Amino acid sequence: MRRSLIVAAAILAGAGLAGPSIGSQLQRTAAQEAAPPAVLILGSRQAESVLGKEVRSKSGESMGRLIDVVVDRTGQPRAAVIDFGGFFGVGNRKIAIDWNALSFESDSTRSNVITVDLTRDQVKAAPEYKDKRAVIVLGSSGSSPPAE
Amino acid sequence: MNVHARQRPRDGAEPRPPSPSAGSAAPPLSSGPSGTAHPSRASQRGLNWFVFFVADVQTGFGPFVSVYLTTQKWTQVEIGFVLSVGSLIGLLGQMPGGILVDAARSERLVAGVALCVIATSALCYALFPIFPVVFTAAALHAMASCVLGPCIVALSLGLVGYPGIGARLGRNARFASIGNGVAAAAMGVCGYYFSAQAVFFVTAAMLIPTLIALSRIRPGEVDPDLAHGGATPAVSQSPQASFGSILRQRRLFILAGCIALFHLANASMLPLMGSVMTTRSGDWATVLIAACIVIPQGVVALISPWVGEKAQAWGRRYFVLAAFGALIVRGLLFATITSPYALVAVQVLDGITAACIGIMVPLMIADISRGTGHFSFAQGIVGTAVGVGATISPTLSGYVSDQFGSPVAFLGLAGIAVAGLLTVWAILPETRTGGAAPSENEMVPR
Repeated sequence: MRRSLIVAAAILAGAGLAGPSIGSQLQRTAAQEAAPPAVLILGSRQAESVLGKEVRSKSGESMGRLIDVVVDRTGQPRAAVIDFGGFFGVGNRKIAIDWNALSFESDSTRSNVITVDLTRDQVKAAPEYKDKRAVIVLGSSGSSPPAE
Repeated sequence: MNVHARQRPRDGAEPRPPSPSAGSAAPPLSSGPSGTAHPSRASQRGLNWFVFFVADVQTGFGPFVSVYLTTQKWTQVEIGFVLSVGSLIGLLGQMPGGILVDAARSERLVAGVALCVIATSALCYALFPIFPVVFTAAALHAMASCVLGPCIVALSLGLVGYPGIGARLGRNARFASIGNGVAAAAMGVCGYYFSAQAVFFVTAAMLIPTLIALSRIRPGEVDPDLAHGGATPAVSQSPQASFGSILRQRRLFILAGCIALFHLANASMLPLMGSVMTTRSGDWATVLIAACIVIPQGVVALISPWVGEKAQAWGRRYFVLAAFGALIVRGLLFATITSPYALVAVQVLDGITAACIGIMVPLMIADISRGTGHFSFAQGIVGTAVGVGATISPTLSGYVSDQFGSPVAFLGLAGIAVAGLLTVWAILPETRTGGAAPSENEMVPR
C-alpha cells in the first residue's frame, strides 16, 4: 500500500512536475511554498516494511513477530515490540527488544526474517511491554544508553 | 467407555414405542409425552460428526485471526478493535440468537445457513484482509456462532429427547473436544508450512464435510417441538405469556449467576498460567503450553460420555459442585506449584471441570426450560452470563497479577470459585426430573 503510494508519487514527479532527481539520496529540503514534495525511491532490496515480520534468534529459534516500533522524541527507533512465545494464543507476551540488537540483513538462506542477537532463554523473563508505561528494553548495550 | 457411549441411555424409560399422546401437537412418530424419541444410528452418527466438524471450523477463528492479521501488517489497535467487536456481538447476540433458533422449524436448515455464513467469513479473511471486509466478516461470524451453538443443542434434544439428552450431550462434548484437538493440530501444521492465510482456506473448505455430516441427520427424526423444549399449550398463548413461562424460572437465573461466577474464575486461569510458563521456561514453554491445552481436551474426550450418563442417573448438582471443586484446587495449585511439569499435570483438573460444566449447563437449561418452548432462548440468557464472566475475568486477573503477582491472582480466582461453590451449594436446585414430567418438588435443593 505504502509502496504503491510512493510509486504513484514517483510517476507524478517523473511526469515533469518539477520533481528533483529521482532515485537520489535522501533529500530533506525545507518546505517550499507550493512546490511538490521531494521524492525518494527506495528499492525493495534497500528498504522494507517490518511490521508483522518474523523475528528469529541467531540459531534460528522463532522469537515471534514484530508488532510495533518504539521511537524516542527525535524519532529514532529505540526498540522493537515483539509478540513472544505462546501457543495458540495462550501464553504469548509483548516484549521490547533493543533496536540495535536487531539485524535486518536478509541473508540468502533465511530471507524475510529479522534476526536478533538474543536467545529465547534470555528473553523469557523480560517484563511485558505495556503502552504508555516506562519501556524496559531488552538487550540494550553499547551504542544506546539505557532507558531512563 | 466406548461401549457405554454407544449404548442407549439407561435411566428413565428404556426406549419403547411412543404411547399415544393425548392432545399433543407433536408429530406422531418421534416423541411421546415423556419426551422419548427414537433416533436412528445414522442420525446419531451424523450428529457426532457434525459436532466434530463444527469444532474444526470454529478452531480456525480464534488464535489464528490475530497472527494472520499481524502478518498482513495490521496494527495491534486494529486487531484489538476487530476482536473486541466480535466478542461484543458474540455477547449481545446470545439472546436474539436463541430466540431465532426457538422460532425455527428446521434446526438443520438454520445450522446449515449459519455454517455457510461462517465459511464465507473465513474466505473473506483469507481473500480480502482489509479493514471493512474483515470487520464485517468478524461481525457475521460472531452472529452466526450465536445461532450455531444453541442450534446444535436443540438438534440434539430434538433427536434424542429428554431421557437421552445427558448421554447425547456427553457425546457432543467428546466429539467437539476431539474436533478441536485435530483441527488445532492440522491448522497449526498448515499455518507453519504454508501461511496463516492457508488456515482460513482450510476453515472454509471444512464447510463441505460439515454439511455432509449435517445431511446425515434425518430431518424426520428431529422433533421441532422437542428441540425447543417441548410444545405446550402455552405456545399458542400470547408472546408475553410464552416468554413469561421461561422468564419466571428463578432457577434459570440462579444457574446463570453461578455460571457467570464460574467463568469469572475460570476464563483467565489458563492464559495467566501460560504467561507465567513463558516467563519461567523459555525453550520448553511452547511445548508445555501446548500440553496444557491438549490435556484438558483429552480428559474431556475421555470422560464426557460417562459424565453425561451419570448426570442422568445421579443428578446434575454433584457434577456442578465437582467442577467448582476442581477449579478451586486448580487455582490453589497454580498459586503454589512452581515445577512446570507439575503445572501441566494439574491441567487434568481443567479437563474434569470443562467436561462437567460443558455438559451440565445445557442439561440443566434443558431441564429448566422443559415445557416452555424456549430452550434456546434460555441458553441465550445463560450464554450472556457466560460472556460477561469470561470478558471480565482477564481484565481482573491481569490487574491483580500486575499489582500483586500471579500467585495472588490465582488465589483470587480460586476465591471467586469458592464463592461460586457456596452459591451452588446454597441455592442452585437439582433440576433432574428422571425422564418424567417436570415437578415442582424438584426445586428443593438437596
